[in-house]
Amino acid sequence: MAVTVDKGVAGGPATPFDPRRSRVSLDERRGRSGLWFVMPWIVGFFLWYAIPMVASLWFSFTDFNLVSGEPAEFIGLDNWQKLLSDPEVRQSAMVTIKYGAIALPVAILFPMFLAYLLVSARLRWREGFRALFFMPSIIPFVAAVLIFGGMFNGQIGWVNRMLAVVGIDGPNWFLDSTWVYPALVFIGLWGVGNAMLIFIASMNSVPATLYDAARIDGASQWSIFVHVTLPVISPVIFYNLVIALIGIFNYFLVPFVLNNGSGDPNGATLFYALYFFRVGFRLFDMGYAATLAWALFIFAVVVTGLLFWSARYWVHYEFEG
Amino acid sequence: MATTLEKKKTRPAILAPEPKHTKRRKGSWLATGITAFVLFIFLLPLGYMLVTSVKSEQMITQVGGPILPRSPATFEYEGELLDIYTVPMPDGSEMDLAMLQPGRQVSQFIDPSNPEAGPIEWEGNWRGLPPAYELDPQWQNFPRAWDLMEFPLLLRNTLVIAGLGTIGAVASSVLVAYGLARFRVPFGRSIMVVLIATIILPRFVTLVPTYALFVRIGWVDTWLPLIVPHFFANAFNVFLLRQYFLTIPKELDEAATIDGAGPFRTLWSVILPQMKAALVAVSLFHFYFAWNDFFEPMIYLSTRPDLQPISVGLRTFNTLYDSQPNLIQSGALLALIIPVVIFLFAQRIFLQGIDLSGVQK
Amino acid sequence: MRRWKSFAAMVALMLIVAACGGGGDSSDTTTDGGTDTTEGSTDTTQGSTDTTTDSGASGDKVQIRWFIGLGAGGQPEQRQVQEDIAAAFNESQDEIELVLEIVENDVAYDTLATQIASGNAPDLIGPVGRDGSNSFAGLYLDLEPLIEATGVDTSMWEGAAVENQREQDGTLVGLPFASFPSTMFYNRDLFDEAGLPYPPANYNEPYGVGTEWEGTWDFAKVEEIAKILTVDANGVDATDPAFDNENTVQWGFVWQWTDRLFQQGTSWGAGSPMAADGTADIPQTWEDEWAWYQSAVWETGFAPSQTEMDGPLGGNAFQTGTVAMAPTHLWYTCCIRDDENGIVGDFWDLAAMPENDGVITANLHADTFRILESTEHPEEAFTVMYYLLTEAALDLLSAYGAAPADPALTEAFIAGLDERYPQGVNWDVILASAQYADSPSHEAWVPGWDEYKLAMADLQSGLLSDPDLDLSTAIADLEAQLSTVFQENAE
Repeated sequence: MAVTVDKGVAGGPATPFDPRRSRVSLDERRGRSGLWFVMPWIVGFFLWYAIPMVASLWFSFTDFNLVSGEPAEFIGLDNWQKLLSDPEVRQSAMVTIKYGAIALPVAILFPMFLAYLLVSARLRWREGFRALFFMPSIIPFVAAVLIFGGMFNGQIGWVNRMLAVVGIDGPNWFLDSTWVYPALVFIGLWGVGNAMLIFIASMNSVPATLYDAARIDGASQWSIFVHVTLPVISPVIFYNLVIALIGIFNYFLVPFVLNNGSGDPNGATLFYALYFFRVGFRLFDMGYAATLAWALFIFAVVVTGLLFWSARYWVHYEFEG
Repeated sequence: MATTLEKKKTRPAILAPEPKHTKRRKGSWLATGITAFVLFIFLLPLGYMLVTSVKSEQMITQVGGPILPRSPATFEYEGELLDIYTVPMPDGSEMDLAMLQPGRQVSQFIDPSNPEAGPIEWEGNWRGLPPAYELDPQWQNFPRAWDLMEFPLLLRNTLVIAGLGTIGAVASSVLVAYGLARFRVPFGRSIMVVLIATIILPRFVTLVPTYALFVRIGWVDTWLPLIVPHFFANAFNVFLLRQYFLTIPKELDEAATIDGAGPFRTLWSVILPQMKAALVAVSLFHFYFAWNDFFEPMIYLSTRPDLQPISVGLRTFNTLYDSQPNLIQSGALLALIIPVVIFLFAQRIFLQGIDLSGVQK
Repeated sequence: MRRWKSFAAMVALMLIVAACGGGGDSSDTTTDGGTDTTEGSTDTTQGSTDTTTDSGASGDKVQIRWFIGLGAGGQPEQRQVQEDIAAAFNESQDEIELVLEIVENDVAYDTLATQIASGNAPDLIGPVGRDGSNSFAGLYLDLEPLIEATGVDTSMWEGAAVENQREQDGTLVGLPFASFPSTMFYNRDLFDEAGLPYPPANYNEPYGVGTEWEGTWDFAKVEEIAKILTVDANGVDATDPAFDNENTVQWGFVWQWTDRLFQQGTSWGAGSPMAADGTADIPQTWEDEWAWYQSAVWETGFAPSQTEMDGPLGGNAFQTGTVAMAPTHLWYTCCIRDDENGIVGDFWDLAAMPENDGVITANLHADTFRILESTEHPEEAFTVMYYLLTEAALDLLSAYGAAPADPALTEAFIAGLDERYPQGVNWDVILASAQYADSPSHEAWVPGWDEYKLAMADLQSGLLSDPDLDLSTAIADLEAQLSTVFQENAE
């Protein structure tokens, strides 16, 4: 494949000076004014985030109970020690990893696949299709969970009725500790609308000339996708990946509403974040809950950091470098 | 980065108006067919939603659960409504009869066309008889959900919370993302890390201190905690917009700067027109997030039902001992109308954004 | 592009105008009420909710927040009654403003805990039973000093009922309000269809006198007739080997919202899950009952599994008219009739609770209100509470479907129920159930109450959804787990 990925959408007027040298000086001049642009977030961070974050970190060193009525006491690293020996921590982390192993690839590939279908010039009624594919992600959460509860009921759910038509005896989805994961991933598919739109917008920005050049070179559809489309959309793949990963680390609302937070069947949906919620808001042990949350936080920051580090090898930005 | 001036010279080709969408075949039925099939599977649950929204509670709990909103045909006999079944008679014919008294071995029926004849005894297992159904969608579920939720009031609340929040979130996030993507901001890298970190920490762990904070400043029971914080940018938006900024050629704003434009004007008149699609996307995402967000409105407005948004109102149909799935679904469909209309409008801009993705200044 | 911009500007403007309309009455800085003129134009639909909010502007009243959600009170009809009572109370005097806070049960615990921990706790909570009350034990105000100081009349309640409200440390944290005895609800139509006699209408009466079914009214008899009342889609009943448990369309028995394990177990005999030495020891009656119900679901099939509960029974099993017998509490009268959905609910009646080994146990729920110790206005909160317990009691009790703790109200209460269920229900038997109340209560406090409930719920879900559950191993595991919970939370 000889197509160089040239992300220059279209050049502006050629600049009459050496861009490299002038950029440095421009940057120096503009670094401070850039800070003014970032200021809303910095102010907001100190107003809304900093105090609660520090407070929650502090909780993890105390025996803070939400409803005890007694002031919290400093207990050092007790909570952190408990965390290391707590079998439910390992179990719920495994649940999250198991789910994530299916959900993460799906969360990237499925919306990418939809976007690929929906940017095709050969598709009729594109606008209508896009709206319909996006629509489920606007459906109120409670309604959506109830819909899937009905769809996947082992006895009268539509899924098993359809399977029965082709002679398959469907499982008891949400009550089966293996099949519950695919069922949850399927619910997750309804939330890919945002990722899909981002992919569509990004795929649309691939310059037609690149495609034309590749086609002249006789490249197949697949190799055009891999060598032209993928590199151009890599910044948004990266974005969707980071967001999906963070979503999986914090995943618990769907199983929470589905089973009222019970972690059924047999602990198979006791996700790490659900375990945290249970400790904090059902058992009211906010000290230990904060420890669980911060342990997750540290782990997730490391993983996300690795992703950011890896980005330099596979994410192609415009004119960066 | 191997961008050279030579390569750029090849580019003006696309500056010419490019009939990208018209020159190919108008559309193939194959691509459309595949997409339609995927859509069908994908939207089956939506079908379930529609059907549930026009069912009565009896239809939902009917054993054997017919898929469509059907009611058994009935006949009124001596003040009682009797279900009608298709009954095979001893002479081999079939009759539609109303069941008066079911029994394990013998059941009694009434002939609706000749009720004066009195009960007819029928031997056999009545559970094997096919009921005579008639289609009976409960359209009144929609006005009922509308009234019970006080829909116009909740709609106003939702629009204000989601609308103002979106304006604030997008405006502030654009500024922040621009700053991070285009300037060598001191500690820029650390800011980015902390920014992402704010969405990694589970939000429920900061709930108690955050709530306490809003109690202290007297914002609980008002819309302020749901709107004001969004005016200070958030990580999802900033991160997404930053990714877009980075794909826009830097020469553009440099050229503008040389022409004497300040950074703000560069942003407004050079860069933003380039990324309309991204702006629309971010606005939509935030709007829909705020439209459906449930927990925070619930906890900050728990004493003010007159200020709550639709997402909280829907929950009143799902109480512990009295779940009304039909009303939840019809209410949810009502709540869907405005977001879908907004999406259809926004899509215009989306498509426009495509045509403008080449710089046509 | 230009058109888009002006459109956006217009939208923004409209939103701000709307926000001023709604936000104006929410901001507590505008005290004069004059700024609210825009309100009339923007929300003419506000209706009844306005009565509670408008008075918020007149700042000199003491606000008392009444938190509802730990028990009854969340359903639309109940909301309306509560709103009306609050409005009536606010009009009746000008010292106190009663503010309602209604939160759905599944988020009520998190919300209340967040408010308590943030120093924004409500003044009054309830109605709440022992269960919900246990979760926040230790935070309630002792009422005795207030009763003495105000000199209010408490003589209409039986002394024992008042004593029953004491905490373990002897403080009196509530006054009697509602009582929910339990008994056997049964579906007359299904008994008719099967040609079986109805369950006994009185205590100490055998089943089916003078018929081939005659015998003691105990759980063995329940099982015997429940099998006949359980039918699959082909019309085969559960006594027949050809019965298909996968395709049941009618069930003989269900614990109707009384299926928490410590609750259903207690129906076979009350006991404490904690031994004298502080370790866990599940009472034998509970273990027997759990094994009985497990085989009812999976072997004989006369009780529904979790899949069937979620599916065809739609969560409210007895209301569907496809379950023959369902022991539950008086509060269940909330949910059989449903006018809005045209469900008349006239197919049922009440019978005596069956015995087990010669002992009858009819679980009792007793709900009331509590004042949180953190309140800044204990006297005003007590005034509101006393109002709810006395003047407003009948309206509230009727809405909640709860028998009054004050015997003088019972007759009017029953009359209200008869209006709702005109088929002539045998109310006497459920009132008589109070004599067989569970002692110790199935909701009696144990150390680590919330953890205890979670552990019990885990086993329950296994029992109802896993056909291969090894119950005796699971019980041994549960006891080990509970022993740790009890010890860790012991004072």
